[in-house]
Amino acid sequence: MLIYSVIFPIISLIAIVLFYLRYKEGKNSFSSFLIWTLMWIFVIVFSIFPNSSLIFARAFGISRGLDFIIIVSLLLMFYMGLKLYYKLERLEENMNKIVKEVALNNEIQLDDKEE
Amino acid sequence: MENRITAEDKNATFVVLPAYNEATRIQPVIESIAEKGYNMVIVNDGSSDNTLEVILDSKKKYPNRVHVYSLIINRGVGIATQTGFDAVLKFNPKYIVSMDSDGQHSADDLDAVIEPLVSGRAEAVIGVRPLEDMPKSRNIANSIMNLLTRIFYDVDVSDSQTGFRAVTIDALNKISINAQGYLISSEFIREINDNDIPFEEVIIKTIYTPETQAKGTNYKVAIKILLQMMKHKLFD
Repeated sequence: MLIYSVIFPIISLIAIVLFYLRYKEGKNSFSSFLIWTLMWIFVIVFSIFPNSSLIFARAFGISRGLDFIIIVSLLLMFYMGLKLYYKLERLEENMNKIVKEVALNNEIQLDDKEE
Repeated sequence: MENRITAEDKNATFVVLPAYNEATRIQPVIESIAEKGYNMVIVNDGSSDNTLEVILDSKKKYPNRVHVYSLIINRGVGIATQTGFDAVLKFNPKYIVSMDSDGQHSADDLDAVIEPLVSGRAEAVIGVRPLEDMPKSRNIANSIMNLLTRIFYDVDVSDSQTGFRAVTIDALNKISINAQGYLISSEFIREINDNDIPFEEVIIKTIYTPETQAKGTNYKVAIKILLQMMKHKLFD
């Protein structure tokens, strides 16, 4: 048995437990918990039975199983990067609105600053 | 031409000054504008130095001319100017000017800048810096920015990155500005153009010091502006 086929399932199981706890605490929605769990299950399956990735690879017309895994991971990372970017941008916009609103509601008078 | 600006016109004019870390430079700017008889809305852009104290010191001298707002964190010249434009509406102004607060613009130009608005020839004015007054490096950078403004926003102006601009209240109500940083200069010009607001260019004096040169449109900012313009053009 190869080292990764032991380590990866352990990491995946820990990740699933952590995601479950986050879901329990209400920090994650059920759907994102489900999607992530599914992804980690795939990681477990692929590390214990590396050849199983070949089935998926063939389905997409890719000749090697590892290529399939790498392509999917890259796409996933790209998607997450983009999602984060948009989230950040939205946060910035909201922050600008708040900062502006706070300033507009508080015209600074001379007595405010003098103790 | 300048003597056509009456005290009444000046009273109806509000100068928006966004200020970020200008403690050493802003005081003469505020006082020269107040001396000329104009009102001001100063927006402290979350400065980390004592800009706000300096502004309030000047407010003590001209309590009725100076109105002060402060962003709790630094958000960039675009947001500070937008805040100023929003705040100014509370005072029912007729003409709104925005100027840089680092002393590169002269209050002596205010009369000339609002004159086209007062006389009704235009609803917006941009104060343009003569290219020959600019240091070489700035000159090239500005020419490139002008070209980009022409390509992306379809407006031909001789100084697209100016911080000295004036609008009537009607024009201000028509335009919407969303830029956070220095893109505001080009965006202002685009909005004026898109809304068919008649505008004029007025030549202004620019005082360049090593300090004012360190800020403003350097190449990093220029690349950022370019990316934002592309984004606007493609996605907005």
